[in-house]
Amino acid sequence: MQLPNGLIAVVKRDCPTCLLVDPVLQEIERHGVPLTVYIQDDPSFSRASRIIDDRNLEHSFRFGIETVPTLIHIADGRETQRAVGWQREEWETVSGLKSLGAGLPDYRPGCGSKSVEPGTAERLAVRYGESKMHARRLTVPPLEDDLELCFARGWSDGLPVVPPTEARVYRMLQGTTRAADEILGLMPPNLSPCNVEKVAINAVLAGCKPEYLPVVIAAVEAALDPAFCLHGLLATTWFSGPMVIVNGPIREAIGMNWQGNVLGQGNRANATIGRALQLVVRNVGGGKPQEADQSTFGAPGKYGFCFAEDERTPWTTLSEDRGFRRDQSSVTLFSADGPVGCIDQKSRDPASLIYSLAGSLRIVNHIDLANAADAVVVIGPEHGRVFDQAGWSKARVVAALHERLQISGQDLGMGTAPGASKDATGSAKHAVSKFRPEGLTLARAGGPAGLFSAIIPGWLMKGSLGTDPVSKEIRL
Amino acid sequence: MHDIQELDSRGIPGGFVASEVFRTAARTQGDAIGFHADSLFVAHPIQDRTDAEMRALADEALEAVVALVCGKDSP
Amino acid sequence: MTSVLLDPTGELDPVQRLPCKKPGSLTGLTVGLLDISKARGNVFLDRIDELLAARGVKILRFKKPTFTRPAPVALLQEMARQCDVVVEGLAD
Repeated sequence: MQLPNGLIAVVKRDCPTCLLVDPVLQEIERHGVPLTVYIQDDPSFSRASRIIDDRNLEHSFRFGIETVPTLIHIADGRETQRAVGWQREEWETVSGLKSLGAGLPDYRPGCGSKSVEPGTAERLAVRYGESKMHARRLTVPPLEDDLELCFARGWSDGLPVVPPTEARVYRMLQGTTRAADEILGLMPPNLSPCNVEKVAINAVLAGCKPEYLPVVIAAVEAALDPAFCLHGLLATTWFSGPMVIVNGPIREAIGMNWQGNVLGQGNRANATIGRALQLVVRNVGGGKPQEADQSTFGAPGKYGFCFAEDERTPWTTLSEDRGFRRDQSSVTLFSADGPVGCIDQKSRDPASLIYSLAGSLRIVNHIDLANAADAVVVIGPEHGRVFDQAGWSKARVVAALHERLQISGQDLGMGTAPGASKDATGSAKHAVSKFRPEGLTLARAGGPAGLFSAIIPGWLMKGSLGTDPVSKEIRL
Repeated sequence: MHDIQELDSRGIPGGFVASEVFRTAARTQGDAIGFHADSLFVAHPIQDRTDAEMRALADEALEAVVALVCGKDSP
Repeated sequence: MTSVLLDPTGELDPVQRLPCKKPGSLTGLTVGLLDISKARGNVFLDRIDELLAARGVKILRFKKPTFTRPAPVALLQEMARQCDVVVEGLAD
């Protein structure tokens, strides 16, 4: 910015130090130094001769003023140095004048600039800053309610969304160091480019706080990984939607829930992170129910399904199993139906508990179907204690479950009316594993009371024909 | 115009018929509510017309009324 | 102060919201005629009713209590339930 040579002072009436130094500004003028005084509140308070009304704070923003009074020296149209607050020596250095402000104390601190007050700083950045937000702007018509507009434009999942104003999106983008225009991938089904800014806008819609944004971005990255097969999962007639499990220090930092009611409502981070991912799919990708989304039933989790794992158990965490360190934060994305409960209030030993869990797992998809969906089993704390007290690792439990989930070939096939012939998928001699080797994932979460675990089956199509779980590191 | 917008939001296409003097008001209101309903403007005035004149106006407007609800480029 | 929102979508639809798709023809459809209760409007709508009925179009008639307010919700619900398209008139 080309500025007039000389001095610039930025002051406000509502600052005792600014009132104190006004005579010094007049002194500077008497020495013949060109001086422009920008006033943030009441332009009439100063006796300086060249005054600019900066009540809209545009100049204060552009000069980067944080404290008033600030004195800036300009040479060759550019700033060379500045003094902040009143300190005689500094003002003499900046102005090139001697013996300024006789009778004044040597030093007085300044006050906060109006341009950095909370709320104001963002408003100014949005209005005068170099906008990094390039999404199309839509003006809310004067008689239209902004919440209703969001519904009318089809941005909502059925529940109210937070209108994505420029200030809200600007604040949301402060939650990540990643550039707003960084493209994460092409979002199915319409393959629109999805960048960090679009994720931020949908995170605002969902009700996220800025500190949740890195988790949402990681979830979107995981969803766009070809291994996750997002388009297929969206378009399927099956129940499943994406489910996000979060690991690492970020869980605590942003206040996620891994305890009571972990799969339900009430925690802002759990609720809004899952929701933001679904809104990105809906809005950026255009994936909507009864259109590209052909799900027969859907599931409540398609509003959003996200929770944190309880990492206080003797087991390795989900993310450690997938190659991360405990001090790294990550998301793992699964396909997921709703949870089905498994109760066992009697088993005191692992083998007995595994018998119960395997029984509930047997009926996933269909009691006599094998090698269809994967499943995530969320082991509640009380069930977890049975394994922990017997010293059973997660791997040992998974192996034992697979062992109990072998289905005889003669039992396989849908259609079990007496006398009805089964699909010829196997013979009596041949046993088939209900789940593929990597198809059972165990996680720990839930409230302290309740001898239950939660079985969450996924999409019927998996592996090279469908979806695989995908993990991504959360980058701030 | 609110009524047509409401019905539109319920999946029912439609339009309104008004006299010429309404043209500007309709555009302004459309801007204000963020929805421009399809419209047909007939000759003003209306209030002092005889029944016969009103029926003649309707006769003249019929094809335009059909086009209003079918889509402008429809037969 | 007007609110400006950032578009969360892939920006494939126009900024100006378009009304929903028109049917293309009235064959087999039910047309609702909504009288806004301004004088003389009923004569106009009666004649439109007569002319369309003569073409074999099914017509249903509705009337809102006053032209000064939006139609009551119950009336809108009823019209949405029974009609395929609607003509509202006659404002002057």
